[in-house]
Amino acid sequence: MKILIVDDSSTMRRIIINTLSRIGYSDVIEAEHGKAGLEKLGQGGVEMIITDWNMPEMDGLEFVTVVRTTNSSIPILMVTTNAAKEDIVAALQAGVNNYVVKPFTPDTLKEKIESLLG
Amino acid sequence: MDQSEIDALLHVGEKPAGKGKKAKETPAAPAPAPPAPKGSAVAADKEGEVISEIDAVTAVTERETNKVMDQLDTISQLVLKQQDLITQVMQQPGAQDGAVQQALHEIMSAGKTIQDKVYEAMDLMQFQDITRQKLERIVYHLRQIHDYIVDLLGTGLKSEGERANISRTIAQTGTTPDERKTHADTVIEEFKRSQQKS
Ligand SMILES: [Mg+2]
Repeated sequence: MKILIVDDSSTMRRIIINTLSRIGYSDVIEAEHGKAGLEKLGQGGVEMIITDWNMPEMDGLEFVTVVRTTNSSIPILMVTTNAAKEDIVAALQAGVNNYVVKPFTPDTLKEKIESLLG
Repeated sequence: MDQSEIDALLHVGEKPAGKGKKAKETPAAPAPAPPAPKGSAVAADKEGEVISEIDAVTAVTERETNKVMDQLDTISQLVLKQQDLITQVMQQPGAQDGAVQQALHEIMSAGKTIQDKVYEAMDLMQFQDITRQKLERIVYHLRQIHDYIVDLLGTGLKSEGERANISRTIAQTGTTPDERKTHADTVIEEFKRSQQKS
């Protein structure tokens, strides 16, 4: 299960990678914004995306929108500080499958990932 | 951390208290401008300086946070190695005495607690990204004030390249992870229901 993590904070990417490895997912690739995420995605093999919203170059919402123009099935989890209801709705409308508000607990991340894959 | 970074931190700590307040109190549309005093050009420059200093702080805290993460990683690996060694010792013929086994089990259990605490500490490092985004919001407001002054006087710093878009609605300080999760889950459920209806 190859997972792509898109977040401009290296600390946050590291925390997500740590959490993933604790729950058994160690095949992970990283990108620091949406544009780089699209490149990584283009290299193939990615089976799930975990993306931040607030990033330079290309933000998470635009990234998800672009991904969904060509790939309607890949599970996408958004992990962000944006907590307003209209933000969550906008993300879901763009094609996000599930949504986690930062800061998260490992249990929440685990539960969301498992619900996306199960 | 080098000296210029330490200086940036110290400056931010002492100087912009007044300006930080100004950022909060000044909404997008500032009051009509009085005739520009000479001091405003200096103010625009200072504003730019403060923005650079805040940027420096976020860069430093991200790097230093990663250093803490490195240390935690090292502790974590050492604990795992220790657990391996204890497991090996437990199987030795010389270690089959009940009291010895009991002690080894306790050491194992303590190691497990250390490992859990290390993971918890790593998870707490999320504060870095949250704090950074809060600072970015302050920078955003400062930049608006700065641009306003520049517009007014036709002087000052040029805008920098593209920055990360800012979070408008960072979860309120003090909400628990459970509250944040329940909130997101409720919105997701509502959205799904509305999708089914339409
Ligand atoms: Mg971000």
